[in-house]
Amino acid sequence: MDDLLAEFIAETREMLEATGGELVAWEADPADRARLDAIFRFVHTVKGNCGFFDFPRLASLSHAAEDALADCRAGRREADAALVTGVLAIIDRIAAMIDAIEAGEDFPEGGDDALIAALDGAPEAPADTPLHAPAAAQLGAGEEQTATFRRSDQRTIRLPVELLDRVMSGVSDMVLARNDLAHRLRQAGNQPTIDGPFERLTTILSDVRDAITRMRMQRIETLFGALPRLVRDLSAELGKQVMVDLDGGDVELDREMIETIRDPLTHIIRNAIDHGIETPSARLAQGKREIGLLAIAARQSGNTISIVLADDGRGLDEERIAAKAVATGLVTAAERGAMGRDKILNLIFEPGFSTAETVSNVSGRGVGLDVVRQNLEKVGGSIKVASVPGEGTTFTLQIPLTLSIIAGLTVDAGGQRFAIPQSYVEEIVQGSARALDLTRLGETALVTFRGQRVPCLMLGEVLGLTDGEAAKEPTLVMLRLASGDLFALAVEGIHNHGDLVVKPLAPAVMRSGLYAGSTLLDDGTPVLLLDVANIAAQHALVSDTRTRVLGPLAEEADAAADNASRAMLFTDFAGRRSAVRLELVQRIETAPVTAIDRSAARPRVVIDGLILPLIGLPDTPLTQPKVRLLRLSDGACELLYAVREVEDAVELTQPLAPVPEDPLAEAMTLIGGTPVTLIDAHELFARHGEAPQAAERPRCTLPEGEWARAILGPLVTAAGYDIVDPAEAGETAIGILFEDVYEVAETLGRPLPPRVIRLRDQPEAPAGAQTIYRYDREGLLAALAAAAADAAARAAATGEAA
Amino acid sequence: MTDKLLVILQIAGRRCALSALDVRSVIETGAITPIPRAPAWIAGITALRSQALTVIDCRRAIGVAGDWPTDHRAAVITEGGHSYALLVDGIEDITTAAGEVGQIPGGFGAEWSRIALGMIETMAGPALLIDLPALLAGPEDIEAAA
Repeated sequence: MDDLLAEFIAETREMLEATGGELVAWEADPADRARLDAIFRFVHTVKGNCGFFDFPRLASLSHAAEDALADCRAGRREADAALVTGVLAIIDRIAAMIDAIEAGEDFPEGGDDALIAALDGAPEAPADTPLHAPAAAQLGAGEEQTATFRRSDQRTIRLPVELLDRVMSGVSDMVLARNDLAHRLRQAGNQPTIDGPFERLTTILSDVRDAITRMRMQRIETLFGALPRLVRDLSAELGKQVMVDLDGGDVELDREMIETIRDPLTHIIRNAIDHGIETPSARLAQGKREIGLLAIAARQSGNTISIVLADDGRGLDEERIAAKAVATGLVTAAERGAMGRDKILNLIFEPGFSTAETVSNVSGRGVGLDVVRQNLEKVGGSIKVASVPGEGTTFTLQIPLTLSIIAGLTVDAGGQRFAIPQSYVEEIVQGSARALDLTRLGETALVTFRGQRVPCLMLGEVLGLTDGEAAKEPTLVMLRLASGDLFALAVEGIHNHGDLVVKPLAPAVMRSGLYAGSTLLDDGTPVLLLDVANIAAQHALVSDTRTRVLGPLAEEADAAADNASRAMLFTDFAGRRSAVRLELVQRIETAPVTAIDRSAARPRVVIDGLILPLIGLPDTPLTQPKVRLLRLSDGACELLYAVREVEDAVELTQPLAPVPEDPLAEAMTLIGGTPVTLIDAHELFARHGEAPQAAERPRCTLPEGEWARAILGPLVTAAGYDIVDPAEAGETAIGILFEDVYEVAETLGRPLPPRVIRLRDQPEAPAGAQTIYRYDREGLLAALAAAAADAAARAAATGEAA
Repeated sequence: MTDKLLVILQIAGRRCALSALDVRSVIETGAITPIPRAPAWIAGITALRSQALTVIDCRRAIGVAGDWPTDHRAAVITEGGHSYALLVDGIEDITTAAGEVGQIPGGFGAEWSRIALGMIETMAGPALLIDLPALLAGPEDIEAAA
């Protein structure tokens, strides 16, 4: 709220400064209509803003001044010296109050009534006390005012927008220069002395760019945030119940533009609540919900932002508007007869028009709408109204983005790149024509998306680049228009997305209606930004009613998707694009390099406490801190495949060509037009698969002595055992004992481990001995393996029992 | 008017002149991105630093067909807040005007008259002084109006 208040103060100050000149001129010539209008708008705006903040004194002062001025405008009253004096006094008082509000002081009580009375030329106004300083003095005071302004603790400054523009385009140039330099540095090879500082430059530049961008842009949320309160207060005052529904708060636009639309938006909301939405009882009588709905949505379309304000009130009365327009001489009766409903409704934006029968404190006398249109047109915007009697009224504001940065997606069509504003993109779907159920009906195409038949445009065809032959593997960008309509745009490929600085195109190019602007990619290539809304309109894809659904077909779509076998597409460390059947892929893991053990002949990796075989690593040491791994499983065994990049799950629709010379390849196939090696899972698991090894390794105690530690120990460890101290051995540990020690222990009845491997010193085994010669490697390993399997089986059994 | 600097260009084999004040710079044309479905006389867009320029093929914009050589350089101009790069046969010289703009009896022919302010004598000989807004309006407006 403090921010809003500061805005209000700053804005009122600015207007006071601007009105200063008008005041002098008006004082000199009270009959000057243009000055009168300007001052009228000032008091009107102040009145409007006060209602918002609960400054009753400001509100009553400005309302009184507005009343008097409105009488002059309507010709009911002459603008005489007394009136001028009265109005100027009020404006002075407003300025003083604003100062007090900013300083957080209370403005001395009283005096307001006298000022208001003075407006009516009431004799009791003390004529000897000057109610206002002469206008010239007022101007002089302006300097003093500025001084106060400077003295107060300012943490913000106001800058001319041109300056920001210059900085912004300077930074854009800098980024391009950096990209160029980066390119040259890459060509020149590694140069450590330059690379470091260059990296720093890059980081700094991107920070600066971010900051500059934010300097100009603001989310429309900052404006929307204040609306619920405004709506609440207004509806309470008018005895109505209104619910406000805001959408698109994340649309960003120029701060300046936000300032420009603040007033128009407030005006329209006032009008909607005051004149549009009925009282609860009237609504109930008409079978509507008691609570009126005011929906406000912002949407970015290319380089314009459209803001739609829709209420579900009584709608505009065409007849009354027409009658009023004729009565006020805006149109003649003959002209009226020739006008369509739309034209008549849009008469409400004509200056001096109003249909409200009673003048209320809230929406005033229709002055709002002509000011609204004037303000919007000043910045190249427009406003339209549409209304259905009894159902509601919709105001559509279009505001241009002189300089805008939008999130965009770059796509390929006909070998050329184009950008699409991200705000439209609902989803990106990739798949074969069959899975998407792409069907041609006459000249149009339909795809099935989440069980809905959705119209589909081929971008190449729209642009006249291709002959409309549907690609076998189209990538569909699902686009949702502001009207709620969904359509698919088939493109040949998707590149990246990022922030695009949109620049306007030459008028001759705009006339094609396909483009909303141009933007430069990071490498400086210009790219055209598609005007999605217009393209859809050109192909008659925009419906009047919201969301056209062509019937649910969910099951069919699922069935279609099941038919083709699918594979996970990835790039391995050798840079080869490969695919592995999707059924094998359990999940995609990301492991830190430290989890990878490359000391043995076969690399291993620890994932979730399991040691798993790892393949696909490059021969060179890994430079990145983390590795993406595909976790493959054949049901029993698991293994991990290290990949450089996981791309996507794709369908295998093209024929599979066997590759006999590469045993690890099941086949080669085409995915998206490029060859891909399909990994032979059978061979892969035959070679590398092993059952997951619990990181919790079986434990083993060793006999005492140097030999056991130095010679036996490593062998046991290699067999997958952890060597533990006999004191900590516990129940599950396997004991390796020399035969003589075992015999002694057995004879003496000392506790022995449940499983024991007995070693003997002589190569020749005595008959029936359950001992292993201490250098019988195979025998030892077999015994250890058997013991480990037994321990694992028992552990599993315990696990199940638990 | 006599000291006025002019950029002399060859367009469709004719000597033409632009006021040097209108020409912001002469650039080497890099890659031109074509604009699908745009009029044929718009060759595409190209980048000049962080700015996008609309590339105009002057020969087509005038409406004179033919196979002309194209200079690897283009003249950059700004008109109505937009910047354009003009593709011409050749950019010859910068010279001073040696006289006032004048008309000649019989005109220059329909296409040329539309885009010409008149004839101007220069140090390099007579040249046709180009009317930039008319040039940038493109040939089809005439057809539409006719």
